Amino acid sequence: MNDFERILAGLRSTEVSFVIVGGVAATVHGSARLTSDVDVVYERSLANIERLVAAMAPLNPYLRGAPAGLPFHFDVETVRRGLNFTLTTDAGPVDVLGEIAGVGDYDAVLSVSEDVSLFGAIYRCINLDALIVAKRAAGRPKDLEAVAELELIRDESSSRSNPDA
Amino acid sequence: MAVKEPMSGTPDPVVDAYKPGIDRTLIRENLKRSPEERVRALQQLQAFAEELRRAGKALREANER
Repeated sequence: MNDFERILAGLRSTEVSFVIVGGVAATVHGSARLTSDVDVVYERSLANIERLVAAMAPLNPYLRGAPAGLPFHFDVETVRRGLNFTLTTDAGPVDVLGEIAGVGDYDAVLSVSEDVSLFGAIYRCINLDALIVAKRAAGRPKDLEAVAELELIRDESSSRSNPDA
Repeated sequence: MAVKEPMSGTPDPVVDAYKPGIDRTLIRENLKRSPEERVRALQQLQAFAEELRRAGKALREANER
């Protein structure tokens, strides 16, 4: 089973600069869709990459879907040379992303994020409007279906906060 | 706002085509919960889905014998 708390607490414990995006962010905003991975956008400075690698190490990250035995090590050099990584870990699938379509890199995502309280801590989570933009930009059928639900959530949230509108 | 594309003000016929199939009652129930309650419910749903997959696999294997 995915252990969202373990993944997020690990990133927090080493003070990784990151923002929650993707399906978990959709869940935070009210989505009822099933998602199986944790997606985060991380800041690309060397210091933050070092913190990210340290946070992920106890989870034994490996490339998701890749055959066993590849010479893959989620280390600082690997992260510096790459950008977006889809990983399998002991706590479940994790996507660590240097940027996302439609929004951009960490700074861009941070600027459209908000605080969310999860498991006794505060995390940054992409806001609903930006998540819709990102899902629309991703453009796969499952993303467009997600956009449909997120737009309905926005409508419902709006009507709840403005019942006379 | 740092997003590179305009916000979704323009109707998209593909997105709109999905909307009638979405259960708004599930959305309304979710919006009554806190974000943490929503994420914990997702984890429980994942565990349930995993158990269903396991049971389905066991059933297929039993039928093949």
